[in-house]
Amino acid sequence: MPRRPSRRTQFLAVVRKETLQTARDKRMLVMLLGGPLLQLLVFGYAVDFKVDRVPTVVVDGDQTSESREHARGLMADGTLRWVKGGKSEDGGGSRNGRRSSSSANVAPPPVTPSVGATSGSPGAEGPAPLDRLGVSGAGPMPVAEADAALVNGDAAAAIILPKGFSRDLARGETAHVQVVIDGTDPNRATVAGAAVAGYFAEVSGDLLRARLAQQATRPATASGGISLVPRIWFNPGLDSPPFMIPGVMAMLVIIVTTIVTAMGLAREREMGTLEQVLVTPIRPSVLLLGKLLPYVVIGFLDVALALAIGAYVFDLPIRGSRALLAAATFVYLLSTLGVGLLISTISKTQQQAFLGGFLFAMPAILLSGVMTPIRSMPLWLQAVTYLNPLRYYVEVLRANLLKGAGWSDLWTQLVALLVFGVGILFVATMRFRKRAV
Amino acid sequence: MSAPAIVARHLKKRFGTFVAVDDVSFEVERGEIFGYLGANGAGKSTTIRILCGLLEPTSGTATVAGHSVAEDPEAVKASIGYMSQKFSLYLDLPVAENLAFFGGAYGLSGRALRRRTEEVLELSGLAEVRDAQTGSLPGGIRQRLALGCAVLHQPEIVFLDEPTAGVDPTARRIFWKLIRELSRGGTTVFVTTHYLDEAEYCARIGLMVDGRLVALDTPAQLKRTHVPDRMFAVRGPNAARASGPLRQVAGVRNVEPFGAGLHVRAEPGRCEAQTLRAAAGAAGHQVEVEPIDPTLEDVFLAVVGRSAKKEEDGA
Ligand SMILES: Nc1ncnc2c1ncn2[C@@H]1O[C@H](COP(=O)(O)OP(=O)(O)OP(=O)(O)O)[C@@H](O)[C@H]1O
Ligand SMILES: [Mg+2]
Repeated sequence: MPRRPSRRTQFLAVVRKETLQTARDKRMLVMLLGGPLLQLLVFGYAVDFKVDRVPTVVVDGDQTSESREHARGLMADGTLRWVKGGKSEDGGGSRNGRRSSSSANVAPPPVTPSVGATSGSPGAEGPAPLDRLGVSGAGPMPVAEADAALVNGDAAAAIILPKGFSRDLARGETAHVQVVIDGTDPNRATVAGAAVAGYFAEVSGDLLRARLAQQATRPATASGGISLVPRIWFNPGLDSPPFMIPGVMAMLVIIVTTIVTAMGLAREREMGTLEQVLVTPIRPSVLLLGKLLPYVVIGFLDVALALAIGAYVFDLPIRGSRALLAAATFVYLLSTLGVGLLISTISKTQQQAFLGGFLFAMPAILLSGVMTPIRSMPLWLQAVTYLNPLRYYVEVLRANLLKGAGWSDLWTQLVALLVFGVGILFVATMRFRKRAV
Repeated sequence: MSAPAIVARHLKKRFGTFVAVDDVSFEVERGEIFGYLGANGAGKSTTIRILCGLLEPTSGTATVAGHSVAEDPEAVKASIGYMSQKFSLYLDLPVAENLAFFGGAYGLSGRALRRRTEEVLELSGLAEVRDAQTGSLPGGIRQRLALGCAVLHQPEIVFLDEPTAGVDPTARRIFWKLIRELSRGGTTVFVTTHYLDEAEYCARIGLMVDGRLVALDTPAQLKRTHVPDRMFAVRGPNAARASGPLRQVAGVRNVEPFGAGLHVRAEPGRCEAQTLRAAAGAAGHQVEVEPIDPTLEDVFLAVVGRSAKKEEDGA
């Protein structure tokens, strides 16, 4: 008769049983593998913060070949889209329709003179009214029409190149450009402004370099000053799927691991099977490890699935190390499974376990930086986010996927996740052992 | 190896202010079938759960299979099998997978596991349903599977908590055949039941009333001690009508309808079958009268009645 049963045998028996049960439960499988798919698609398509092809009107008061060149150059990277007389140059009308109808019903006039970009010192004189820049009604688009396009939502940005613009630029004098942006959508306003500022920063940089090359020696600070222009890196279009997917992945893992683990154990308690297991000589730690392992695998599968969908459907880049991704996912899983286990030790029924999982998941998601940037939270709440494993995982995912950040950049987050994971699992196992039935 | 299989000493379990098990002490010999009887809520399951290491007693000690339950619960668990009152195998798994899981939990693997699985399937007559989903099986077969899972690892002792509750009479009979086979093989069986006819199969019986163990002995001795009266069965076409005249017979304590006839209880030595038959005949009822043994039900009623009275007197 087996006196001290082999732990390996016990462990394998638990893993096998747990896997079989999950595999036989069709609803569970759908939830574990189909859920992620659905969530990703919903979040990817419905929550769209991406800014591109901002409808833009150009008032070319200069009417020179250089000014037309600049107008085209401004549209070149696709962030801005030139609309002429309310019609777009390319065929992408559907997005335009959505945008313009959403901004058209804003009550106050949505014309906000928010950016005054110049090729010399940007914003030195501040924004100027449209008619002070020597732009008359002459040319292909009169100022009044641009104004109207902004008000009725046909355009979200207007770029005014005043008369004499190319001449001033060529002489090395300060040339003025006015950019008027519809500020009802701050995201879009920021991106459009940055696109214009970025373009002219490049132009003035080129000009300066050309001039320096001509004159051979002159310190760069003397004139035609280059000023710093803020630019959004890595995700300049505020592309939302690449930004959202890491957040959605972290949320998914909570649902498939925390809630499912908590409910799974609560179900065993409810059905009485836990008592039947606890009367065997199996150790609680062996039992729990065996029960959790299949969910570690499922967690990894879900993350891989999310990455694949992200990459193929939403152009999510994977710039960083995959080993780092896997390591981060593993230590994150320790936390989410540990929390699930902890919840199961304080709930008597599956319902309570579900509620407990939900009560953990909601604040964890809200305080993770997935939905709102942590920096925009009140200070005390920012402090709370340091206790949230989700925060670290989202940080790692975003930095790894979008920026290609490596081990040396992210080791603090990994250590934090490891500490949380091991700590929570330990406490949960202790509690489980104590109130076994 | 002659030490008792189970030794319980002054076990007490309190839930809040309610005492579910109150100063219970007993020993169970190796290889015997020990019946644990009591009404609902008497504390049977609580006692078993303490002995299996599932519940810590408030006070008192227990030794099972030679191991202290408090100090070496793992050794105790490796030596026992347990079938809980509520069916608690995995309903969503096939029969064979339940056996495989519990076998593994008890440390069986490879050839040993396969051999025992076959033996248990054979023994409990489950070979045909090995691939059936457990939840689809009728109650009687499920109970046999639960017993199979509890004895896979050939434990020294099995604890069966109301294994035949809600099972039809045929299935109950099959089940008890299995229990007796186990016992013949040397396994100690600790079984609780509500069915007093089943209790007759037990070598010894402990009777629980409100958390206290009020009687413990062999069925025969229990009957002698607790039902000293002689019992007679009265049968015949008009037996029921003879109840009035029979009550008048000297020494008769009680006459109760039983089926189509009557059961008569009388003081020992004061009346015989003939006396009763004559008395019924004198009243014009032709009946058969036969001395019978009291049943455990009689014992149970006598004991419970006595402790209820004691309680009233005490209050
Ligand atoms: N965990 C618990 N918490 C509180 N009370 C409990 C608990 N477990 C059992 N009890 C109570 O202890 C008493 C004895 O319960 P137990 O299950 O031992 O009775 P039983 O003899 O097995 O009865 P049954 O024939 O109904 O199974 C009951 O009144 C029950 O309500
Ligand atoms: Mg019970």
